[in-house]
Amino acid sequence: MKSRTGLFALLVAFAALAVVAAATASPAKQARPVAASAAAVPCSSAKIALMAPLTGDAGFLGVEQLSWAKYAVAVQNKLLGLKVGLYQGDTQLDPALASTLAQKYVSDPKTMAIIGPSTSGGVVAAGPTLDAAGLVAISPSATRTSLTIGGATVGKFFYRDVPNDAIQGPSDANYMIKSLKAKKVYIIDDQETYSTGLADAAGAALKAKGVTVIRDSVSQSVTDFSSIVTKIPGDTDVVFLPWQQPPQAQTFAQQMAEQGKKAKIFGSDGTNAPGKFTFKGAYVSNFAPDITGIPADKALVAGWLKLNPGQKVGSFGPPTYGAVQIAMQAIKQACVGGKVTRAAVMAQVPKVRIKQWLLGGSWGGFTATHDPVGAKFYIFQIQGDGSYKLVG
Amino acid sequence: MSNFVQFLVDGLTLGSVYALVALGYSMVYGILKLLNFAHGDVYMIGAYIGYGMLTALGGATKPVISIWLVMVLMFLVAMVGCAGLGVAIERFAYRPLRNAPRIAPLISALGVSFFLEYSAQLLFGASHRQYNAFAFGGGALFFKGITWGPLHISLLRIVIICSAVLLMIALTLLVNRTQMGKAMRATSYDREAAAMMGIDVDRIIVVTFIIGSALAGAAGVMFALRADASPLMGFNAGLKGFTAAVIGGIGSIPGAMLGGILLGLFEAFTQGYLSGQWSDLFVFAILIVMMIVRPTGLLGKADIKKV
Repeated sequence: MKSRTGLFALLVAFAALAVVAAATASPAKQARPVAASAAAVPCSSAKIALMAPLTGDAGFLGVEQLSWAKYAVAVQNKLLGLKVGLYQGDTQLDPALASTLAQKYVSDPKTMAIIGPSTSGGVVAAGPTLDAAGLVAISPSATRTSLTIGGATVGKFFYRDVPNDAIQGPSDANYMIKSLKAKKVYIIDDQETYSTGLADAAGAALKAKGVTVIRDSVSQSVTDFSSIVTKIPGDTDVVFLPWQQPPQAQTFAQQMAEQGKKAKIFGSDGTNAPGKFTFKGAYVSNFAPDITGIPADKALVAGWLKLNPGQKVGSFGPPTYGAVQIAMQAIKQACVGGKVTRAAVMAQVPKVRIKQWLLGGSWGGFTATHDPVGAKFYIFQIQGDGSYKLVG
Repeated sequence: MSNFVQFLVDGLTLGSVYALVALGYSMVYGILKLLNFAHGDVYMIGAYIGYGMLTALGGATKPVISIWLVMVLMFLVAMVGCAGLGVAIERFAYRPLRNAPRIAPLISALGVSFFLEYSAQLLFGASHRQYNAFAFGGGALFFKGITWGPLHISLLRIVIICSAVLLMIALTLLVNRTQMGKAMRATSYDREAAAMMGIDVDRIIVVTFIIGSALAGAAGVMFALRADASPLMGFNAGLKGFTAAVIGGIGSIPGAMLGGILLGLFEAFTQGYLSGQWSDLFVFAILIVMMIVRPTGLLGKADIKKV
């Protein structure tokens, strides 16, 4: 019995040590994988790889991105005279899978660029592998600020064509204060890094302007929010939901209405999904304008709708088209003597300029931190028919 | 005080769904001593069948018949469809392993669970499907009901709680007052002895799957009326249903009902008085405490064997 107790105590001690080690470990100290071959390959066999959650709870996001990535590859191949192929990698919103996929693409010398990873967690997980291999990644949706700004950025391989949360949080807060005249805001994060970071940023901006902020939290697995709705004070002006699941925002808004709560619902870019979050009067922010309202995009949108009949243009697809466009333009520019290398593609990515940018205006390149130049967030209000009207 | 009563109603609504799921777990365990981990996914299929029925009848905004009739049909078709699925699962995944070591059907159950989840994802896509019950009768399900000061019990909650109670009463009557129920109890008590007494045990097992799966189908529709249907929704519901069954005493029908209601109430009060981030932590802490302190659950009985 004594020896069993001793063994148990030893195991507990090891477990405690493991917890302490996990808590104090820095991601930057992780072992770096060996870089794969950076040999030149024929431009005609170059590939780009989409890393997105194609199945699982966030499958809606990846499926939308995939449809736009396929479309962009087809269109840009014609326009640029290339034969770039597209790999599809399903991260299932699981950082471990993102890391495995990164290794897979790094090992394939034909892979010249990654479109994604779609989520910030995926970028962090895949980062060391991609960085070591010199494989450039352009994410159309990973908005966590610290990926590019701060002391623990993920590396020189990473770019994004959407603005970060340091812009979104204050931008949303300003709209709540100036346009919605909010004096009391109830913020509910969904316990994921994206959500807590954005909730912190918006909360700080609101508090700085004297707004009363009440903070709550709910797990992504919760689907009945009634009890949370019940405790929201009646004099709350805005309920801010920096979530990643539009249907949950829809359910929350309906349960607010069910209990007669009058506060305005305000969702982040993660809830921006026409056809999924359709609650009349609610607000959502997004890193992209509604491209169906941009005259120059009319033919492009029509082409996508022809391939995806009955689908609605969401918020995650157009930046994906943009990321593919940047990657393919970089491959075109890096193609010398019929050969292309990863290093050349990475060097060309920041030099790409696009006159007619899908998200409006022109593409002016990246800042020193690899964020898009002049990026901003847009605010929409959901109309009675479920459409999104640009209001700020 | 009004918050307390509202939390109580929230908990009863949630608990009604958990109780129906827990019943399926408990009934199958009672008869086969099998943890049917695919049960949560039967619930998910129920939610999708309800969605299909609603869509076939014109959807929430333009139903071709009365919306109340649409809802009745959604429940009925989901229950029948899930009952059929339950029979198929029993026939192809569990019956061939009936005499195998107990780990074999357990692994088979996990396999069926993943099979159903990813088949649903392939068939219906990863996007959530919304019933849009908010549009039923211009919002009648949400805005009408019992209003008393700040307290509002919507028609939808009343429908969910009443339907669940009716189903539980029907099940209790079936188990306690019919020959079939007597045979089910006998099979649950001692399968071999029941067979020797002339009870068709295979038939009883099939009936158990039919009833449990039909209840899960109804629960799936109830849940999706308030939220939505998604391919992975069964995982969480299955865990909660299993927890409810353990709390009540797995194998005990009244225990499953009590466990489900208690779990719903506990979740609602934790979310309301503490925070949403604590609810799952407390729910599963209860499961652990229950396993340690009272492994038989609140209404379960210890399996005493003469040696």
